[in-house]
Amino acid sequence: MNTESLQKLYTEMLLVRRFDELCLSLKTRDQIYSGYHPYEGQEAVAVGFSGLLNKQDILLSTHRPHGHAVAKGVPVESVLTEMMGRQTGCSGGLGGGMQYLDIEHNFYCGSIVGSNLPIATGFGMAIKQQKLDRVCMCMFGDGASNTGAFHEALNLAAIWKLPILFVCENNQYAEAMPAREFVSCERISMRARGYGLEEITVDGNDVEATRRVAADLLARIRTGEGPFLVEARTYRLRGHYVGDPEATYRTREEVDAWRAKDPLLRTRTTLLNDGVDASGLEALDQTIKAKLTALEAWALEQPFPTLEQSIDHVTIPLTQQGGCACL
Amino acid sequence: MSVITYGEAIRQAYREEMLRDKNVCLMGEDVGRWGSLYRSSKGLLEEFGPEQVKDTPISEAAIAGCAVGCAALGMRPIAEIMYIDFITIAMDVMVNHAAKWPQLSNGKLKLPIVFKTQGGAGRRNSSQHSQSLENWFVNVPGLIVVMPATPYDVKGLLKSAIRDDNPVVFIEHKALYFEKGEVPDEEYLIPLGKAEVKRAGSDVTIIATSWMVLFALKAAAQLQQEGISCEVVDPRTLWPLDKQTLVQSVKKTGLCLVVTEAPEEGGWSGEASSVIHEHCFSTLKKPVKRHCSIRTGIPYGPVLERQIVPGDESIMKAVRELVKGV
Repeated sequence: MNTESLQKLYTEMLLVRRFDELCLSLKTRDQIYSGYHPYEGQEAVAVGFSGLLNKQDILLSTHRPHGHAVAKGVPVESVLTEMMGRQTGCSGGLGGGMQYLDIEHNFYCGSIVGSNLPIATGFGMAIKQQKLDRVCMCMFGDGASNTGAFHEALNLAAIWKLPILFVCENNQYAEAMPAREFVSCERISMRARGYGLEEITVDGNDVEATRRVAADLLARIRTGEGPFLVEARTYRLRGHYVGDPEATYRTREEVDAWRAKDPLLRTRTTLLNDGVDASGLEALDQTIKAKLTALEAWALEQPFPTLEQSIDHVTIPLTQQGGCACL
Repeated sequence: MSVITYGEAIRQAYREEMLRDKNVCLMGEDVGRWGSLYRSSKGLLEEFGPEQVKDTPISEAAIAGCAVGCAALGMRPIAEIMYIDFITIAMDVMVNHAAKWPQLSNGKLKLPIVFKTQGGAGRRNSSQHSQSLENWFVNVPGLIVVMPATPYDVKGLLKSAIRDDNPVVFIEHKALYFEKGEVPDEEYLIPLGKAEVKRAGSDVTIIATSWMVLFALKAAAQLQQEGISCEVVDPRTLWPLDKQTLVQSVKKTGLCLVVTEAPEEGGWSGEASSVIHEHCFSTLKKPVKRHCSIRTGIPYGPVLERQIVPGDESIMKAVRELVKGV
């Protein structure tokens, strides 16, 4: 990858990292109300994979969605204010940090582990049947690969040959449960074989690798191949949620060893070796931070949703269709 | 008018809607080659092809999930769950996604899905193939719940459910597929959320759902000979509930019996009873009475099955107790 392209990916990862840090800070100030699922350390997966999607492509994400959303191009302000429960959020502040939709940007996420995989089959089926120039990407974690929904979806997608890229973002832990103990095979990608699919594994902390694999697989899907399942092996540098009892399931030494493999650190080192000026990267960081600081100030001023908003769209009234005369 | 079966009425509804709109598709276990368990989609795979009629693996979560995804891209899927007992596998998608996404989209996303299934006893299938689980869905905001009892109703309501932009849980009854009834030859729709007075009467109102409507009508005919005039009201849609039609009837008769196949505890029968108490308190001569299945798993043999589930004779007994106090 040339230096210019790599620097672009680095910039995107930096935005995701700084956004995550802003959310952490907001969480500690009670401006994010639910449990917050930090994304630090996994940026090369979001940027490498979901960052390659077009606006019209479908992205189904998880309970740890903000990195994927920002990388896909869902406006940062609507993701941030959704997490803060404000009207300007992409779900009007009704969803919060782990379940929101942006219909215009074709982004969907939810907080039930594994349940986006079956839904992906429907998007894939509609895309294929209607011959749309779109693809569907479904992100999930190591934990989701142990659900029944994973199996049902992979099998259906495989027999119907649907245009879906299933991306298993293996961050090594399902809450506190280590994949090495709770996943029955050495690599989750091995499960692809059971559905007649290729076994594809990528270093999820190497953004050049994730982007290369994503580009290759999406190109193949767009020409009628698919589905594919890829496992991106990465590491969740922070707890499952802010303040989880980390000492019960992993050691400080283990986390530190992965910190040395931080995808931003790695990419930065490569860029510096390629002759990129360190002060230029620093200036870039300052620009992103300044933007986010301004965004935060704006976000804190945004109104909260009304009671009417939370009720209005639950059911399209049948009275408009000649039905129900409720008292 | 033609006399057709409930199953044939369903087939006609599918066919008319698939002809009208290519986005309408049916997916589920054995809906294609077999034409569904009770042949209610017989011949449709041959007529419409696999894009509109899709056999799926035994994967209820994937069937329901597939419906949500393709509906989000403009299709109008009918996702068939062969037995309502299997719907437990599909519940996550239905309850956590289909019922939530339209709200989370602030009305920008419509999910015109029919989750179609069949429930109830009557075919001696024991406790994992005979349940009445409709109550679960009535309690989930965002879902519409329909339970048609006659060929006329099932056709008109299914066509409306397919055209409705909300996710609809459409629950047929396995004991009804071969029941016959009159259905107009010309096209018609029955609006969702409209109850119907199936038999007019003056002494007591029987509110009954699905298979129980047939027993209530039989009981009413018998009781007429004993001098008790029963009005039988079928809500047809459990939610949203046409409270007005129910309340009007009870305001006239002053007595009300609610009959459901689901056990009464925590069920829709309690909702119906509560609506009547809230709106008819001053005209009620006695508290609303409920007559529902005994709270147990449906037993296998035909004798016990009939003893657990209400029938015409047990309904007659319940009405007599309500009217005469015996």
